This record gives sequence, structure tokens and C-alpha cells, in this order.
Amino acid sequence: MDRTQAEQKLKQIFNLDRFYDDQWATIDRIFNGERILLIEKTGFGKSLCYQFPATQFSGLTVIFSPLIALMRDQVKYLQGIGIAAGCVNSEQEPEENTKLLEQAQQGKIKILYIAPERQENLEWLEAVRGMNLSMVVIDEAHCISIWGHDFRPAFRRIINLVKLLPARFSVLATTATATPRVAGDVVIQMGEDIHLIRGNLLRANFSLRVVWVRSEEAKMAWLGEYLQQVEGNGLIYTGTRVNTDLFSAWLNFVGIDAANYNAGFDAESRKEIEDGLLANRWKCIVSTNALGMGIDKPDIRFIVHTQLVQSPIHYYQEIGRAGRDGKPTEITLLYNPADVDLPLYFIKNSKPSLDKYFRIIDAVKQEPLGEHDLMRRTNLTQTQVRVIRADLIDQGIIKEVMYGRSKKYEYHFGAPELDVKPFEALRKFKLAELDKMVEYAESSNCRMDFLCRYLGDASVSRCGKCDNDLQQSHVMELTAYWQREIDKFLDDYYPELPVETRYSNLINGVASSYYGFSNVGSTIHRCKYENGGDYPAFLIKKTLRAFRHKFGNEKFDLVLYIPPTESGELVKNFAERIAKTLSFPISHNLKKLKRTRPQKVFQNSVLKRDNVKDAFVFEPHYAVANKKILLIDDIFDSGATIKEVGRMLTKLGAAKIVPLVIAKTIGGDIS
Amino acid sequence: MNDVQDFAYWMALSHLPNWRTEKVNQLIVEILHNQEITFAEFFNLSAEQWKKAYRLNDKETTDLISARSELASYSFVAESLLEQGFSLIPINSDEYSKTLKDNLKTKQAPPLLYVKGNKKILNEPSVAVVGSRNASEISLEFTRNIAQKCAHDYRAVVSGFAKGVDKLALDASIEFNGHSIIVLPQGILTFSSGFKKYYQQIVAGDVLVVSTFHPKAPWSVGLAMNRNIYIYGLAKEIYVAESDSKGGTWAGVMDGLKKRRKIYVRKPESDEKNANNLLILKGAIPVNMNGDQIEINDEDNLRIQLTELLSSGYLTTDEIKDKLQLDIEPKELGYFLSGLDFIEPMKINSKKFFRLKELSSDQTELFQ
Repeated sequence: MDRTQAEQKLKQIFNLDRFYDDQWATIDRIFNGERILLIEKTGFGKSLCYQFPATQFSGLTVIFSPLIALMRDQVKYLQGIGIAAGCVNSEQEPEENTKLLEQAQQGKIKILYIAPERQENLEWLEAVRGMNLSMVVIDEAHCISIWGHDFRPAFRRIINLVKLLPARFSVLATTATATPRVAGDVVIQMGEDIHLIRGNLLRANFSLRVVWVRSEEAKMAWLGEYLQQVEGNGLIYTGTRVNTDLFSAWLNFVGIDAANYNAGFDAESRKEIEDGLLANRWKCIVSTNALGMGIDKPDIRFIVHTQLVQSPIHYYQEIGRAGRDGKPTEITLLYNPADVDLPLYFIKNSKPSLDKYFRIIDAVKQEPLGEHDLMRRTNLTQTQVRVIRADLIDQGIIKEVMYGRSKKYEYHFGAPELDVKPFEALRKFKLAELDKMVEYAESSNCRMDFLCRYLGDASVSRCGKCDNDLQQSHVMELTAYWQREIDKFLDDYYPELPVETRYSNLINGVASSYYGFSNVGSTIHRCKYENGGDYPAFLIKKTLRAFRHKFGNEKFDLVLYIPPTESGELVKNFAERIAKTLSFPISHNLKKLKRTRPQKVFQNSVLKRDNVKDAFVFEPHYAVANKKILLIDDIFDSGATIKEVGRMLTKLGAAKIVPLVIAKTIGGDIS
Repeated sequence: MNDVQDFAYWMALSHLPNWRTEKVNQLIVEILHNQEITFAEFFNLSAEQWKKAYRLNDKETTDLISARSELASYSFVAESLLEQGFSLIPINSDEYSKTLKDNLKTKQAPPLLYVKGNKKILNEPSVAVVGSRNASEISLEFTRNIAQKCAHDYRAVVSGFAKGVDKLALDASIEFNGHSIIVLPQGILTFSSGFKKYYQQIVAGDVLVVSTFHPKAPWSVGLAMNRNIYIYGLAKEIYVAESDSKGGTWAGVMDGLKKRRKIYVRKPESDEKNANNLLILKGAIPVNMNGDQIEINDEDNLRIQLTELLSSGYLTTDEIKDKLQLDIEPKELGYFLSGLDFIEPMKINSKKFFRLKELSSDQTELFQ
């Protein structure tokens, strides 16, 4: 097929007039059975490079992508123009996935999107046996590379697969963000005969700027001012989940319509917010970088980062989601030099210490173990287990094997010794990238040039729109006015305790503060671990305010409190004073059945859960039957204790159980 | 060391539907050795080229076209196998069992092995212990002795994981810390419970699990019978604990003797009712309870010679005396022959001949 013929079909099927040159170059090679790595900026139209050929091939095209939101949108779009498309991912019901696989096998689907974790499921393998494949596409191909900013072990397996495909089988890998090093890595991994097509990275409609601040409060103030005058809708990216809550609550406090979003939300809530984003329901959404990937919104008018990110490539990708319509778009980074601590912390802790690796290796030498069993056996956090596991699989020391429907890890006979040199190399590399990000923030030269050059495109030199090219410099000093507003806000800002589940009558509760804020944490620590006496009045007052804020004048039938392991009668006395002030009756009959160890000893939620399981008892049962209970404790960490008590009380007939605590930790606060 | 991409091709060829092993191997030889092209290039040819250059018929060409469309799917399966710690060993690999290749040759050696565990065991000296499913106590004791001896001598035990002598040999080999090969009567992905059971031995490098069938093939009688060939094929030496004069063990041993394999049979006690002695007559080497060779006494020797001599037909007493150069009066020889339980007299035109007694023929030919 030549270009003219192809463009005729393009018009028929997609209602587009012509291809860009780079698009046609790619498609032509695909028809030739070649393998291509396509690096083009967001908004270029990479999808067309595989969607069009897919319609022309006789068999099925499979697209691997980590972006579930994108899959959904693309499938909707394709179905809308009459192309049989489907997607298979972990957020759908298994029955739906099965049906789609069957349809693909029967040749009823032309284009199938798959989230890579799908690959090891044997059901998928069975289905593939019967499928007539014409092309494999790897979207977000930078996920293949350890040197990229978003390495995913599941993608590594796709590479194995590509290597196994017969020669002259079309493979297209695409990404918008790959440094030359990452591109080189992808090329090596996919097979040296892959052809690289790279477009320019200049986003001509972006105005990049950096605002210097000296505190978190200054950032809040800046946001308060900025969002009142900027036009259009946009995104605010924070560095932690806690901050999404904090900043969005702050913005709403000063009258700006903001929603918050992070990966801790359930799928339904997340979908709701994604839909709201597309419908411009709010002025902005405050989120971690979980939001935005693959969402097809052309008019994100501004993006603000409240926290330094790990590297310029992370930054380029995150801001890349804005302004796809080509209209003027503002990109801001709020920069406090001390902010480098957070990414530094993540880098330094990205790999667990070596002895933890050997703990895992020794465990699997005994028997095949699943993830939870591994966590139990080794007392490591889920994150630690996952990182170590990925490295061990990468080095061929352990293998992931399906036992029926569950995944277990086996030690591989003949495996090599653990090689630690790559860890050190990776650490050094990441530290260097962070230095580069700091360089961006502190640069006085063209910012667009800096980013593009970093990504291998030296063609820019001067964008004419960034703060440096315009000879502006931005600094935000905290005024008295904003200081007052922020104080007012923090006074009334109470973290929610998410404990609701299907298995109990627990309702989400509230804490008076985050552990690390004001002097709440230090006061608690002094009383609990340094014999500082009972919890002082200001904590009681704050807790009562939190209660009133969420529950108003709601009446409760009974107050109970979590009996402690250590720290004597602190919680008891605290609970008594709360109960007295609220005039609710209190009972001291919630008791510990077995000796538990302090939860803080346990690194992961599975062991914490195990620790408190069946540990509590309440007598007499009728005292809680049909009652509304206020459950008090001093610190809320994983919530395992409260959930266990809630479950137990529900079994005894309690109608509603609400937790009320002094402080909620932000994971890791308690050392 | 094979290019990983090749595995999809090996799988596609190995599992061509209803193709005899010999035909598959011949095709592989033709492609790789005679025409000297790669599998990739082969699969790129047209049906006409296949018919012409490789002398394939219409059905075979259709099968290949079908296999070609499944190549991508086989890639997925191969990748998944490798990820889960399995290895694929094609017949042209250095890691393939030389014993298997020598014993089965192009006619029956499986083109592709699916394995998990210590691959090196494939090229260690190996022994199979075979016998009836419901073997007697004494046979089981013998099996244990052999397995223990093997463990001591660094010979690997080859087992089909079947009830009776077979499984006992495996368990004993493991008990005495020897090496073992388990030859599955099913696809390697269907053996989860077995992998769990022998996990520690596999991890320690003592047990290797092998399957020649499609990875997801469920157990079937056909596969189980097929797999017996591979047990014999993988073993350098065979020890027979106990055999009837018909059935799987008998058929296997007879076939092995025909192929001049080294087969050792346990010399039975005088009150045992099995066909072990018969096998000794047919050429199997008698051993005692510890697997040590026993001297064949003169009478047994004569019985063996007679068996061989009369296997080609019937002869008169004089002819027998001459051919075996026996220093005995024909009349006495005649009496002796009449008293043997495996020989019978017959008359043709009133002349007396002797021939081998017909055996009940459940000699199911294991091999096509």
C-alpha cells in the first residue's frame, strides 16, 4: 500500500485527511514487518501509528499498556468509529476478561489492549494459543528500562516475549519520554534490528517557570493567590498522598473548587474523579502523579508541582499531559531547596539492605511462597518484598510460578549469586538525575532547552516563553494575611480514618491531627514513652473539636477504648475525660485476650493483622448489642487494631462503631 | 545453546498433530542440516516450496500452515515457561540426553524436552528399574536395593512416577540422596502437586522433571504408554524386578532385548510365578537381590542357546546336536528336549521336530 492509498483508507475509517511524515514513516515500516521504537512528544498522535495498521492486518493486534484509563478511552473511541476493540485488565471483572479473550480467539476483535500484569495468568496463555496475531505494540515502552523513570518488572517480560516472536513480525514500541540512555537500553533489549524514529520535543505553547519559596505555608499561600487568577482548569501535583488531602482541603477553604485524588482511592472513586476532570467539574485536582497518565483531556491549562520530582524526565512526562490543544499553558514548579530531602529519601531507600535480600532467598529455598507468606516469613514490608522480588527475578535467582490460581516464588536451581553491582550503579545514577532536577530549578537559562536537551533533543536553544527567557524571577514571601488564613485553616483540619469495610459496622472516624504536625506528635511521644504524664488538656480539646467537626451533636451510646500493651493508663484516662465532656457512658470491659506485641514492631500490615487477630474480647455481649460506639485510641497507624476490634464488636451485635484518635501517622512516623 | 526465539519453532514442529516422531525429526534434519536454513526461513517458504524441496504432501503442508499461524501463541507459551523456571531442550542441544538419542535415534527420540531442575542429570549414567504394578514384596526389596546402589555409584534413577516398582525406585533414590529423573506421562505444566512435593530435591539439584508432551497436555493412557518408551530411552541400563509373560513390562523388555540393550533381570526364587526366567532365556542378564550378576549354570546356558537356535524355526534332534555341537547321544538329547517346558515336539510327514512353545501374545508393540 502506498501513502495515497493509505490516506484514502485513513479518511474512510478515521475521518482524518492525512498522516504526519513521521507517522507514515512508522506505518510504512510496520507494514514491512519491521520493529520500531517511536519517540514522539505527547499530542503527536502515536496511537494512530498502530491503530491504522491494526485495521489493515488480517489478524489481531495486541497492545500492552500500563494505562488502564487510556485503554478504556481508546476502546470507547475505536468502538465509536466501528472498530472491534476490547481491553483486558485487573480492574474489570474476571468474567468480562474471559469473554473478551474468547472473542479475540474467535477473531471477533481486531485490537486488544492488555495491562501487562495480565500476561502470566494461565487463562490468557490458553486463549493466546488460538489467537491469530498480526502485531504487538508496547505503549509507554520506557517502562522496559531500569534507567527510565517508571520501570515496571511486568514490562520486562514483554521483552522476553518480543524476543520469542518470529522474525518479520511487526512490533511497535512507543513513548513520549525517553532519555538517550533509556532509548539505547530499549533498543538493546528489544533486539538490535529495531529502528528508532524520534521527533522533536519542544512544547511550543508551554510557559515554564519556577517559584522560590521557603516553607510549605508559602506554597499554600502562592496556590491560594494563583488559583484565583489563572484561567481554565488544571492539575496540582504533590509529593505525598497526605498532601493531596491537605492542599485540596486548603484550597476549598479559601474558596477554590478543588478535588483530591491519589492511588489509595478505590477504583470507583478514581473513575469518578477522572470523569470529573474531563467535565471540568472543578477548577483543579490536587493529586499525586498517579493522575493524568493517559487521560485524554486536551485543555489542561496549568500544572503546578508543589514538590521537586526525582528527575527532569519525570518532570517532562508529568507536565507533558498539559496543553495538548496547543493553546497557551502555564507550568510551575514551587521550589524550596530543602525539598530535595524527600526524593533523596526515596532514592536512598529504594533498595532494602542486603541482609533482607538473603532473608528472602533463604525463605524460598525451603518452599515455594506467595507474597503474603513471604511477608510473614521475613517480616519485611510489602514494598520491600516487591522490590527485592523484582530484583531477584531479574537476576534469575527466583522464578514466579503459577500454582493453580495463586502466584508463588520458587528458588531456581543453578541460580547465580546475588549481584549487587547494579544496585550501586542505579543509586548513583538516580542521585545524578536528582542533581539534574535541582539544576533545572536553579537554572537561569532557557528551561525548555534544558529539558529537551536532557531528553536528547538539542534543537530548541530558546523558547521565548519561560521565566528565564523573559528575564523574570519569582519568589513567594509569606505575608501576615496568608499566615493568618493558614493558621485558621490548620486549626480546623482533621484527618479522616478510613476503616470502613464490608465486614464490620465501622464508620470512617477522625483524628485531631497528623502525627507530625504542630507539636501533637512530640507531646504524644513524651507522654507515652518518656513518662510525661497524662495527655494534656490541649490534646483533649483538639480531639473534641475534631469530633464535633465531623459528628456535630450526634449521640453515642457507649465509649470504649483500646487497652494498651505498654504506656499504662494513658488511653484510659484520656477516654474517660472525653466521655465525661461528651456525657457518654464509658465501659472498661474491652480487654486483651492474648499478649500482643506492640504493633510498631511489625513492619507490614499482614503481620500487624496477624498480631491482633482474635486478640480482643468484650463482656457482657448484650452491653454492645445494637449500640452506637465511640472507640478511642491515641495513635492510628495501619488501623489493624481498630479494624479487628470493630470486627469483633460487630459480631457481638454493635450497630455502629466510630474510631476517634489523637493522631494519625503518615506511615513511618513511628520509628 | 539455542537462540531463545527458536523455541516457538521447536514447539510448533514438535506438536504437529498426528505426525510420527520420525517424520518430525526427518523434517528437522532436512531443514537444519541438508538445506541448511533456519526455522525462520523455513516457515517463510510457500506451500509449493515445501512440497517441492521437502517432499511434503498436501496434508502435511496444511498442518504446517496451521502451525505457522500458531507461532506467535507458542511464543507466549514459551516465554511463560522460561519465566517459571522451565527449560526447553531441543534435540540438537548439547544439553540433550546422549543416551536418549543413542537409544531411540531419529525414529523415536523426542525432538523437544521440557524440563525443570538440574539439567546435567540428563547426561549422567542412568538406570531404570521396571516391573509390574503389583509387584511382590521381594521385587520391591530388590528395587530398593538397586536404587540404593545407584545412589551410591552416582547413577541416576529414571522413573515414570507410576505406582509400584517405578515410584518405589524414585522414592528410594531420593531417600539415599541419589539423582533422579521423573519422566512425566503428561504436560509439564500439569504437574503442580508433584513440583510442590519434590521442591526441595529440585532446588537441591537432585531431581530433574522431564516431559516430552505439550506443556498443558493432561494425563491419558496413550501418553502414559508413550512415556514408557522414553523411560527406557533415558536409561543406560535396565533392571527388571518382576515381569509377567505379557503386559507393559514384558513388551518393553522384549523390545529392549531385540535392540540389544543391557537388561538385568532378578533371578527369581524357585517358588515364584513370574516370567523372569523366561527373560533370562531371551537374553536378559540374571542378577541377584543386590543387582550383582549371577553365573549362568550349564543347564541354563543350554536353555539359552536352544532358545536362540529355535527362534528361527524348528529343527530335528540331529540338527540341534550338530548346530550346538553337543556331545550327547541323539536319543538322550531327544528325551532331554521333551522334558523342557519351553519346547514342544511336532511332526511333519512323520518326521519329528522341536520348536519353541507359542507364548500368549500380548506383545503389544510399543513402537509404531
